[in-house]
Amino acid sequence: MSRVALLGSCSLIIATALCPASAYGKKPFRKDIEFFEKKIRPVLVKHCYECHAADAEELGGRLRLDTRQGMRDGGESGPAVVDGNPDTSLIVQALRYDGIEMPPDEPLSESVINDFVSWIRRGAPDPRFAKPAKVERPKAPSTDLWSLQPVENPEVPEVRDRRWPSDPLDQFVLARIESKRLRPTHDAEPRILARRLHVDLTGLPPSIREVDEFERDYRQRGGLAVEDLVDALLARPQFGERWGRHWLDVARYGESNGNDGLGRNPTFPHAWRYRDYVIDALNDDRPYDQFLAEQIAGDLLPSDSPTQRDRYLVATGFLAIGSKPAKAMNNNFAMDVVADQIDVIGQGVMGLSVACARCHDHKFDPISTQDYYALAGNFTSSETMWGVAANEKLTAPPTDLHVLEAAPKVLPPKDFVETVVVLDSNTGKPKAVPKSKWPAGTPLAMGLRDRDMPADCKINIKGDAKKLGNAVPRGFLTACEVESSVAAPIGVDPKQSGRLQLAQWLTSASHPLTARVMVNRVWMHLFGEGLVRTPNDFGVYGEQPTHPQLLDHLASRFVDNGWSLKRLIRTIVLSRTYQLSSRASAELVEADAENLLWARHSLRRLDAESLRDSMLAASGQLDPTPADGSIIRHRDILVNRAGNLHLPSRHRSVYLCYLRDSAPPELAPFDLPSFVTTVAQRDVSTVPGQSLHLYNSPFVIEQARHLAQLATSHAKSDDARVRMLFRRTLCRDPAPAELRGAIAMVNAAAGEFGDKGTEKAWEALAQAMLTTNEFRYVD
Amino acid sequence: MNYSRRAMLRSTSCGFGYLALQALRGQAALAEGSGKVAPGTGTPQTRARAKRVIFLCMSGGPAHLDTFDYKPQTLKKKHPGSVYKFQQRGESGLWISELFPELSRHADQLCMLNGMHADTGIHAQSFLQLHTGERLRERPSLGSWINYGLGSENENLPGFISLNTSKSTIYSSAFLPSIHNGTPIGVNGEDMSNATIRNVSSEHLSLRAKRRQLDFVQMMNRGHLAQRATEDRLESVIESMELGYRMQTAAPELLDISTESEATLERYRVGQFKKQIGTCKPTDFGRQCLLARRFAEAGVRFIELNHGSWDQHKNHRRDLEANCRATDAPIAALLDDLKDRDLLKDTLVVWGGEFGRPGLTPENGKNETGHNARGFTFWLAGGGVKGGHVHGKTNETGARAVEGKIHFRDLHATILDLLGLPPNDLTYYYAGRQHRLTGPEGGKVATEIFA
Repeated sequence: MSRVALLGSCSLIIATALCPASAYGKKPFRKDIEFFEKKIRPVLVKHCYECHAADAEELGGRLRLDTRQGMRDGGESGPAVVDGNPDTSLIVQALRYDGIEMPPDEPLSESVINDFVSWIRRGAPDPRFAKPAKVERPKAPSTDLWSLQPVENPEVPEVRDRRWPSDPLDQFVLARIESKRLRPTHDAEPRILARRLHVDLTGLPPSIREVDEFERDYRQRGGLAVEDLVDALLARPQFGERWGRHWLDVARYGESNGNDGLGRNPTFPHAWRYRDYVIDALNDDRPYDQFLAEQIAGDLLPSDSPTQRDRYLVATGFLAIGSKPAKAMNNNFAMDVVADQIDVIGQGVMGLSVACARCHDHKFDPISTQDYYALAGNFTSSETMWGVAANEKLTAPPTDLHVLEAAPKVLPPKDFVETVVVLDSNTGKPKAVPKSKWPAGTPLAMGLRDRDMPADCKINIKGDAKKLGNAVPRGFLTACEVESSVAAPIGVDPKQSGRLQLAQWLTSASHPLTARVMVNRVWMHLFGEGLVRTPNDFGVYGEQPTHPQLLDHLASRFVDNGWSLKRLIRTIVLSRTYQLSSRASAELVEADAENLLWARHSLRRLDAESLRDSMLAASGQLDPTPADGSIIRHRDILVNRAGNLHLPSRHRSVYLCYLRDSAPPELAPFDLPSFVTTVAQRDVSTVPGQSLHLYNSPFVIEQARHLAQLATSHAKSDDARVRMLFRRTLCRDPAPAELRGAIAMVNAAAGEFGDKGTEKAWEALAQAMLTTNEFRYVD
Repeated sequence: MNYSRRAMLRSTSCGFGYLALQALRGQAALAEGSGKVAPGTGTPQTRARAKRVIFLCMSGGPAHLDTFDYKPQTLKKKHPGSVYKFQQRGESGLWISELFPELSRHADQLCMLNGMHADTGIHAQSFLQLHTGERLRERPSLGSWINYGLGSENENLPGFISLNTSKSTIYSSAFLPSIHNGTPIGVNGEDMSNATIRNVSSEHLSLRAKRRQLDFVQMMNRGHLAQRATEDRLESVIESMELGYRMQTAAPELLDISTESEATLERYRVGQFKKQIGTCKPTDFGRQCLLARRFAEAGVRFIELNHGSWDQHKNHRRDLEANCRATDAPIAALLDDLKDRDLLKDTLVVWGGEFGRPGLTPENGKNETGHNARGFTFWLAGGGVKGGHVHGKTNETGARAVEGKIHFRDLHATILDLLGLPPNDLTYYYAGRQHRLTGPEGGKVATEIFA
């Protein structure tokens, strides 16, 4: 106390000496100061200084209340005091517990708050003129975060064993392995390599014929055979289905909103167009910079044909398919939509969680609240079009949609009647389905377009849309420095939303994150883990890359090769590192349990989609053509009242209906994400629900039945049947012991069922084959 | 010691969060010891008073003033309060309404929390917050956090079972490893007699044939593993196949209550109250309570039961009486059995809903109530809490909690603490930051109620 009193009297002298009375109006200066000393300062000292003074352990909200200037400069949320205007002064709002609540333990008494009000009305006279020490704001250039340093194309390191590498990338890997006095494991056997390549590039297993042919070719031509196989697989349409699905994880793709918090889950009947767009883009090898630009600002890109225009509009669905909390009683709804958009670009494209800065400066990463609202302005200046939200205004207000020009008109089937209806809560009778504003069958798409009057976004103090601070000029993250290719820096055109410039900024060749993040994702899909093992978090809290130089080497090549994903994937799969066996000596595994050296490949479980697709392929039931649209394309309904809409399908899993909170039952048990936010990496859990699915799900039993029929109708002897089952599921012949075990199982099982015994027994064996780890894992 | 918060967060990320990160990376969740959380560095682990939780979830907002929060007329004017008769029960003299004659026998086991309060009177949001701490977004459920913190206690069953459950967000493990996801049995408000676990059985093969089939699969799997000796997780897959196989027997066996005596079925009122009365749905709460006892005996960590709806707006008295009748004897029977089997000492029973209701004024004939989130009642029993005890209170009209206030995050903190988990340090790193059940504000443990 005495220290405070002393300081107080010192500053009083300074204030008296330095301040012209005019600064405080005409009233006698002394009376104002008395008021401050009696009514204001003691409260500040007692209730505020602990967190808001120079010696606070951690300065709350970067706000200092222990100096005159500090109160006026304010903190993250803006000035605490606005002279003469108590109502706009944040400190008064906070004391009133109006949006912000201070002091946090309990509100101060009404009379104290009134003191503050009258003090500010007087002009907030304040003798505490000590200069506040500069509060550091996190600023870009000073940051030492590795991922924000420019991508350098590092020199390829020397290695001792010069014959081992087949690509420069191998030298980065080998150099590190050699430095640990270790050796990479042996190359994968050709049959294993064939399966790995097929699954990694197309998501489907090879047929045994394909494996046999590759093995022969490989024995003769070695690496050339691999190149041919890789090129052939990259050219298959199944490539886009596999890698498009990977991107759909990043894009948190869903065909319904998911629970809005009020138990309602409206469908997105047009979301599938975005899915098809993504698959096509991957198959066409759309350069990644272009791919991003289309998704962020396709509506603003010039197009040469209606088809191209459609494509661009559909691409912006990327920012419109997010999962939203309900509008009802939610003042922040509009900013929740923006938060999702910022998040998918932040984590998905840049590997940074920008979302924290909605309420406060990021605690670890150099992202300020200012940055957040600079980005937000690009989206608040855009109109997000999700559709009618099943005509539930409390869930989300209905919006317009993009009307496509070249896409065909598809009418609902003639006998189609909507069976899922909303009941009127008063009468209990079904509500009439409101008439659509478009003629039936009009091709529509979710997406974004610019508002008529773009404007900068005001800071929402502590994320509350009712508490507005200053407007922040639209822009990007100050922490990422980007060289502009044009003379002027990339800046937002005031007449536009800013999304086009955001896309240009993100895809600038010198953006430190965009290429690194994508290269890392590709690596993760090919090796099971990324070089950075937190693919959505390249921030301070994320992991460091195992091989920073390799990451930069690949990122540089990626950009130099015109952002071609196919070329990037080709480069990696043709490397010696990728083609290593997943088996290794115990010594190597012990020395590097987590495979941080990449001295071996890794055993991976088929993901939910690949497992289902592989079962369909093995049973001969797979329909390899793309599905047309979606089962909900004519259905603007609330899914949660609809029970199970899913229908059996023989198409690839990517074409199933990805309803949020109501996942396709054929995929759900194997760690299918909820797609509420962008997915960094699929979980690989081992839970009994998976075993139960394999034992008892109608889908698996059905595929086992088809597979058994193939075997029993095409092969007569038991040996031949077992062999066929092995070849269709595991791409190999059974070992003698396996053959004996299989036949023994069939015979024993057959005895238990009457007339249909044999048939049932072969079904049991077929199901067993689909259940084995060898079928469900890839080396 | 002058740690910055940032350093603290980092260090905890190497304690609790570290294991979590390992799990996130796909380490087989069933491997020995995983899911069990080692004490974070510098985090004192409290003594575990309970091992498992049975949550009797009363959705819709039970009227606290007509059940457990006695409000006699004490002011000069007639005012809202309790409109049913209350009586002091047990040695402790706990006030309980006439609507719970059977439960009243257990007065000396009950620990009333009369100072509960919540943020919102919106059903879905408050219901979600009651389960996950968060009103608007999908977050891990209480049962998932507990299983994440303590791991599983049984080999044949999941650690989190949600009976007669409504939305998946209520039992979701969200970003926690999916092994901690609740397993739903039955659909909210629908008949429970045929409710089961998805894919838990099928008719196409006999169990014997399935065993032969699995023996062949495991022979194949062991051969596969032998060539990949360093792949530990393949071993846990093999174990998980066995667990799944055992669940095919264990789960239906537990769900099959035909082995229980007639007297037991009667005590629990299994299969009774089959008619919907106003908001009171035929949830077969008796069967749920009996199943809860069987799952508790089998070592399931977190069992949630559901009955509703207690949202009796219009016919307050009729619907409330129906709800009480449908749950009174079943809950009493559950407490009887837990006590008899010496399970109550380490089973924490929790009763409550998303908020309470404003009181009616006696004799004015009004029969309509709304929502009241500012003050309501939960009760706890067993699991290391004081019995026959009242903690907290509301004002004279029961509208607002005034003493011993407990928010959902405080309730969550208290439950975690009773289970020996550090409430505000049980964290999981996700999407750029550490998350915890008690949210950014943290929860306060009501140590006053500990026995």
